[in-house]
Order: sequence, then C-alpha cells, then structure tokens
Amino acid sequence: MVASSSPSNSGALHTVIAVDDVRKAYGSVKAVDGVSFEVRKGEIFGLLGPNGAGKTTTMEMIEGLHPPDAGSIAVLGLDVRRQAPAIKNRVGVQLQTAALYPQLKVSELVRLFASFYDHHVPPDEVLDDLGLNEKRDAQTKTLSGGQQQRLSVALALINDPEIVFLDEPTTGLDPAARQSLWEVIRRLQGEGRTVLMTTHYMEEAEALCDRLAIMDHGRILDTGTVDELIGRRFSERSVRFRREGAPPGAELEALAGVSRVVEEDEEIALFTKDVPATVAGLLDLTTRAGTEPAGLMIRRASLEDVFLELTGRALRD
Amino acid sequence: MRALLALTAANLRSFTRDRAALFWTLAFPVVFVILFGTIFSGGSSNYSLGWVDQDGTPPVAALRDAFTANAPVELSNLSIDDARARMRNGDLDGIIVLPKGLAAAVAAGQAGQPGAPVGITVITDPSRTSSAQAIQQIATGLVMAANLQLSGATPLMTVAPESLQTSRLNSVSFFVPSILGMALMQLGIFAAIPLVQQREKGILKRLNTTPLPRWALVGSNVLVRLVIAAAQTVIILGIGTALLGVEVTGNPLVIAGFVVLGALAFTSIGYVIASFARTEEAANGMTSVVQFPLMFLSGIFFPLEVMPEWLRGVATFLPLTYLGDALRQTMVGGTPFAPLGVDALVLAGWLVVTLAVSARYFRWQ
Repeated sequence: MVASSSPSNSGALHTVIAVDDVRKAYGSVKAVDGVSFEVRKGEIFGLLGPNGAGKTTTMEMIEGLHPPDAGSIAVLGLDVRRQAPAIKNRVGVQLQTAALYPQLKVSELVRLFASFYDHHVPPDEVLDDLGLNEKRDAQTKTLSGGQQQRLSVALALINDPEIVFLDEPTTGLDPAARQSLWEVIRRLQGEGRTVLMTTHYMEEAEALCDRLAIMDHGRILDTGTVDELIGRRFSERSVRFRREGAPPGAELEALAGVSRVVEEDEEIALFTKDVPATVAGLLDLTTRAGTEPAGLMIRRASLEDVFLELTGRALRD
Repeated sequence: MRALLALTAANLRSFTRDRAALFWTLAFPVVFVILFGTIFSGGSSNYSLGWVDQDGTPPVAALRDAFTANAPVELSNLSIDDARARMRNGDLDGIIVLPKGLAAAVAAGQAGQPGAPVGITVITDPSRTSSAQAIQQIATGLVMAANLQLSGATPLMTVAPESLQTSRLNSVSFFVPSILGMALMQLGIFAAIPLVQQREKGILKRLNTTPLPRWALVGSNVLVRLVIAAAQTVIILGIGTALLGVEVTGNPLVIAGFVVLGALAFTSIGYVIASFARTEEAANGMTSVVQFPLMFLSGIFFPLEVMPEWLRGVATFLPLTYLGDALRQTMVGGTPFAPLGVDALVLAGWLVVTLAVSARYFRWQ
C-alpha cells in the first residue's frame, strides 16, 4: 500500500502502481472482485486471462476511467480518485479499441493529442519511432490494423509518459505486425518506462512480461515471474519422443528420475525431476535396442499448464 | 484553452471532410431556399395570356399596349378556339377576349352617346387560384383605367402596379428566415450523431484518459456548431438577398443573438438525444422523430395562421416556432407570433431544461 506522494519514500520509488483490494460490479456481475497487486518501476507487468476475466476493467480503473466501488489505487504515488488530472499528464494509454478520428490525418491527430498535455515530445518524433512517418498525411481510416495499433501506441507516447498502459495491444494483428509491436514494447522498457499490459496470448506474456498476474472471474489467481508461476506448481519437466519404435512402458517407468509415463496419441511423455539421468537412461535403452528416440525433446510446463492447473480449463476455449 | 482550440479545429476538419454532413448542413438548406425562391417568384412573375382580338381596330391595339406595358403578362394573338386549346394544354394561364364592336362602342361613348358597355371576357382556370385571381385583377384594373382615360375623366386615384408583386416578395421573405431556422434546428439536433459515433468508437473514452477537461470537450463541440451556424446564416442570407431580392432589415446584432441562442438550444436538444441513444442507428432514428414534427408544426413551411387550432396549440410549445418567429421578425419584419422577448425566453427555457436533462443522463462511455 503506497499512499505517500513523497519521492523520498523508498516504496514510492520502486512501486509505481499499487492496487489494493479493488472491487467493481456492474449490476449483479462482479467484474473485479477484490484485486491487489503492485507494479514496480521499469518492469513490464502483464494481466493474463481469458476474455471477461476483468483485465480491462481493472486496467481502466487504474487509468481513472471508472471509479472503483471499493479499494484504493495509487499511481505514481497519487490517488486515482482525487488526483486524476495529475496522473493523466504522466501516463500514456492505449485502449483495446483503437479509438481515432477517422477523418483526421495521422499528423493532425498526433498534434491534437499533443495539445492536451502540459508537456509533450515533438509529434514527428513519435511518428518516426513507430515507423509511421510515411503515413503522416494519410487519413487514419485508411490505415491497416497494424498501423492503427501503432498509431494508437504513438498517441500514448506523445506526453513522454512514465507508465504506458496497453490493453490487448496485439489482438487481431498478423504475426509480423505482432513481432514489430513487441519490439516497440521492449524499447519502451529500454527507455525506462513502466508498462502495464493485458493479454490473453500465452506466448506474448511469456515473451514480454517480467511479471504476470493471472486473472479469471474478476480475481487474481496468482502473481509472479513466468518461472515462479510454473515452478510453484510444476517441479518436473517432460521428456517426449514419438511412440513408434519406443521401448515398452515398463522399462520406461523404471528409468532413473521418472515419476510417471503418459502415453499420448503420437508421443510418450516421461515426467522427471532429473532430466540428465532420465535422458541418459533412455538413450541407453534405445541404443541397446539398435534404435534412437524419434523427435526427442525436453519441455517444461507452460503458462497454459499453469492456467489449466489454476482454473481447471484451458485458456483457449 | 490551447486544447479547446485544437479540438475545435480537429472537429471542424472532420466535419468538412464528411461529405454527408456537409451536404445536409450546408447544401441542403441552400437547395431549399433556391427551390422555394423559384416556386414563389418564377411562376407568378409573368402570366402568359391568349389575346383574342375579334374587333381588329386601333383602340383595341392601344389597349393591348397598355396591358403589355403595365402588367406582368405575355400576350399571344390567337383565335378563340386556338386559345382554349392551348389553355387546356397548360400553355396559357388565361384568355382575354375583345369582342367585335368594341371600337365602335368606344367611339359612340366618346361622342356623347353611350350605349350598353361592351363586355371583355377574361377566362381563367379556377383550380389555379392565385394566378386566376391575379389575372382577373390585372384585367379589371387595366380596363377600368382605360375606361377612365377614354371617357376623358381626370384620374383622382391611382394604384401602383408594384402592388401586384408584394405577395411574391412576402412569400420568399417568409421562407428565407424560416429555412435558416430549420437549418439551425437540424444542425443542433444532428450534434447527437458525431457524439454517439465518438462514444461508440471509444473516442470519448480515449479523450478521458488524457488531462483534457470535460468542459473543453463540450465547449469545442458547441463552438463547432456555432461556427457552422454562422456559415449557414451567411450562406442562406447571402442567397436570399443576392438571388431572391430579400431585404434584411433588422438589427444584425439581434439577428446574430437569435442565431446563437437557437443553435445553442437545438444543440442542447441534440445532447439529450445523445444521452438516450445508445447506438448511432438509434440516434439517427431519434433525430428523425424529433426533427419532422418540428419542421412541419412550427410554422416553417405553412404559416401558423393557416393551421387548425389544435395544431397551433402544439406549435406554441415547440422551440422552432419561436426561433422561426424571431428570425422572421428581426430579418424581414414578419408579423409577430409572439413578442421578441417571449421568443428569447422560450428558447432560453428550452436550453436550460435540455441542458439539465443531458447533464443528468449523458454517458461518456
């Protein structure tokens, strides 16, 4: 809990967003049901969960768009309810729907947003940074989905924000556009900014986020780095190879370190806490049989497995 | 302040790049003005009449000259049968028949031996009321004048021929301020559409994530409407005065005051619509539901005097009744429906009430 606005307070120096037991209901639906987490300066923090988990509502309460029914939110040491204008001057927001004036040109739109802030960077600079300079005279309605999304991020950066909020930034983008936006997000972190983002893409969370909160049904189920989230539940890794020509199951179960053997449609998975010993034993078996394990790979559990473990269902419906 | 001006400029740019909005707010009223101007000036200025001369004498020719010189008529020399046929086809507005013996009767009268007066027949189409009456009046007036002149009496009274044209000027003068009122009404009510669009697209929400204060957001929307209202006023009055000869007589400041008050009141009604319409489609439907009764029951197209009593009762509650009335009074000296002070009070009342309603119910997200 960070209530002090004093920069000398060491908590305020490191925690830039503090969300404490926040609740929000729409009618009888508890969209956000007691959420707490902290975001530290300079990190990329992700809210991961399926659609309807309460990620966007949580984020928009932090942005000052909806007042929470209960709980407190501090951003940069300032109270969201009472000091919203001061906060809004120092953060940048990209909303889930790319909200733009369809008839304005790219450069006009960026200059318009620049006029809203006490302090802003040169409009051409953000257009350059996001590779939109060639499109500066195009009306925004003519931009592709990826370009619109980059423009949306450009608008979020016009006031040189300390914190950038990105709501599902890569939803609907093709793989190339997604990669290019990931680069942009990493660069924001490199510039010393803090990023709070939502996503329902597992690989995006794994690739970008320093820390994550996994959300479902308006609650946070667990918070931590990707390694922490996986390590808390899955100490084992799986050694996998194709079924055809594999040694018999009884011999596999007897291998060093193996706790269980799962035979899937195409593959066999050996769950083990001691990967080197298990692999050595497996190779020993196959060498004696004059074969080798086809398609051999070692996998650790994924965020997908974590989500399955936490909720009993897959993140992708 | 910088944000307010930037947002106003952005909204105006969006507006000028939206062809549909441009057409409905600027071109459409102009089309209306020109259409009404043509209907009420073109048709009645020159009547084309069949001239059936069955006498063929110099006095009849003199009478013909008097007709063409003093009245807005075009005469074609025809036989009675041809004239009737052409009038049935709609080529003629009326026929004047000069019977045989007309010159002889005039000569007898001038010689001091008047017989029975010779009847000049004026044939008109009673289904076309206004032109029938006008032609009868023109013919009667000119024949009376000829009578006086030929009988050697000194005219004691004259009637100015321009009096035949006042009704035409009155019609156009009535419509030009009325159409300006209608255009301001539409401009204001249609403020709902971009608002609902911007809310649906999340633009309002996006603006709320910036430090832009809400007063600046509302203020810029109102400023945009006022700038367009000024453009509408200049264009409609410009066409009215330059092309249709309407004389704007009132105090420009009072006129400007009513234009601003009207634009504000109707923009506020637009905000009420935007408060209750969730989608753009709903907003479109609601603007139609609001604008058509206003258009037809506020004395814009039909003077209030010709409406049945109960409809006039409805009209006394409608804001456009008072804006139209105020504009007609201040611009062309129209007959007052209510004193100007009452017009201003009713419009201000609508403004205050609708502002309160939209302040209570308008949703930003």
